[in-house]
Amino acid sequence: MSDDRVPLVADGAWTDDVDEEEGIVVNWFAKEGRQVEAGESLCEIQIEKVSVDLTAPADGELVEIVRGENEEFTVGDTLAWIAPEEA
Amino acid sequence: MTIDRELTMSRAIVEAIGTEMRENDEVFYMGEDVADYGGIFDSTQGLLEEFGHDRIMDVPISETAYLGAAVGAAQQGMRPIAELMFVDFFGVAMDQIYNQMAKNTYMSGGSVSVPMVMTTAVGGTYSDAAQHSQTLYGTFAHLPGMKVVVPATAYDAKGLMHNAIRDDDPVVYMYHKRLMGLGWLPAPDGPKTPVPETDYTIPFGRADVKREGADVTVVTLGLHVHRALDAAASLAEDGVDVEVIDLRTLVPLDRETVVESVRKTGRLVVVDEDYRSFGLTGEIVSTVADEALDALEAVERVAMPDVPIPYARELETEVLPDAADIEAAVHEVK
Repeated sequence: MSDDRVPLVADGAWTDDVDEEEGIVVNWFAKEGRQVEAGESLCEIQIEKVSVDLTAPADGELVEIVRGENEEFTVGDTLAWIAPEEA
Repeated sequence: MTIDRELTMSRAIVEAIGTEMRENDEVFYMGEDVADYGGIFDSTQGLLEEFGHDRIMDVPISETAYLGAAVGAAQQGMRPIAELMFVDFFGVAMDQIYNQMAKNTYMSGGSVSVPMVMTTAVGGTYSDAAQHSQTLYGTFAHLPGMKVVVPATAYDAKGLMHNAIRDDDPVVYMYHKRLMGLGWLPAPDGPKTPVPETDYTIPFGRADVKREGADVTVVTLGLHVHRALDAAASLAEDGVDVEVIDLRTLVPLDRETVVESVRKTGRLVVVDEDYRSFGLTGEIVSTVADEALDALEAVERVAMPDVPIPYARELETEVLPDAADIEAAVHEVK
């Protein structure tokens, strides 16, 4: 059943601006258990002094935050999991 | 049960400004680095893309010129928001602020009003030295003619900003840098709160009891609301029940809520990040002495000592009141 979950990936879509591979999660705008909408800002990350908002990849419940505030990540890491509304 | 969307204080402020700008063409924002940069403390992040350079304006480095321009625009019916990048820079434009912005309504016999908001960043904790770390709450609250707003949470920040822009008188809106939620200046737990997407106002002159308690009243504002709440949580473990009052606005000042609380607890601690002398702590203590002297059993003041704020991190941490200082003061009055 966890196979249905959609990952929020720090996919490096911002890499035109930065070369650095490692960043930090600055702010979460949702807690675990909240219903989120595809496209809404879920968290803000900072990489090489550039702030980037990562948006929800799907409608559904934010079931798990993998990297909390002030935790580091590498490009490609999963930061959170969303359980889509209609799996 | 729905769990609300949470916002940092900077995003809550920007959301209120954006909403007001959408609804009223007379609202515009100007300041140093507020357009292309989005404000050095994110106070205008994202607004340029929606509203363009005509309404989100970068200005030359002359506070006198652009604050004066804001006063004129306000008197002509616009609703400017003008940002003083650091409150510490007020001196270069003080005539525009306290003789023009604050007094023109009075001096004109009420024939003009000045419906502007002056936003400004306040506070220390990040080693920015004596000319970039002050709060100067008392300086602005002391001079008649300006309303003075100091939010401590994202929820309050949004409601107070809506109210500030709609107010027909000049409002000084002081946001603490440490509360904005910036990547390079992380906020403590607390200022990031659930924030409704719809607009709402928080009226001026209404303090908010952020924590109810029976034993000691702690009155404060801004960053120190969160430090007082930390102290209260720790004191609760020792069986001391602390009430924490967040003033939210200095002008108008909600003296009633403070006096009411002291009538209940009999013990008062006032906490201020501004200088100790001639400031908020003295004002609150004398208010209680005026109105409820018989109820007052003990009182303590916790404030910045009357010295320039040090650059060295260890020295700044030493002079700036922290949760342990508040705890100690509460024990003093117990």
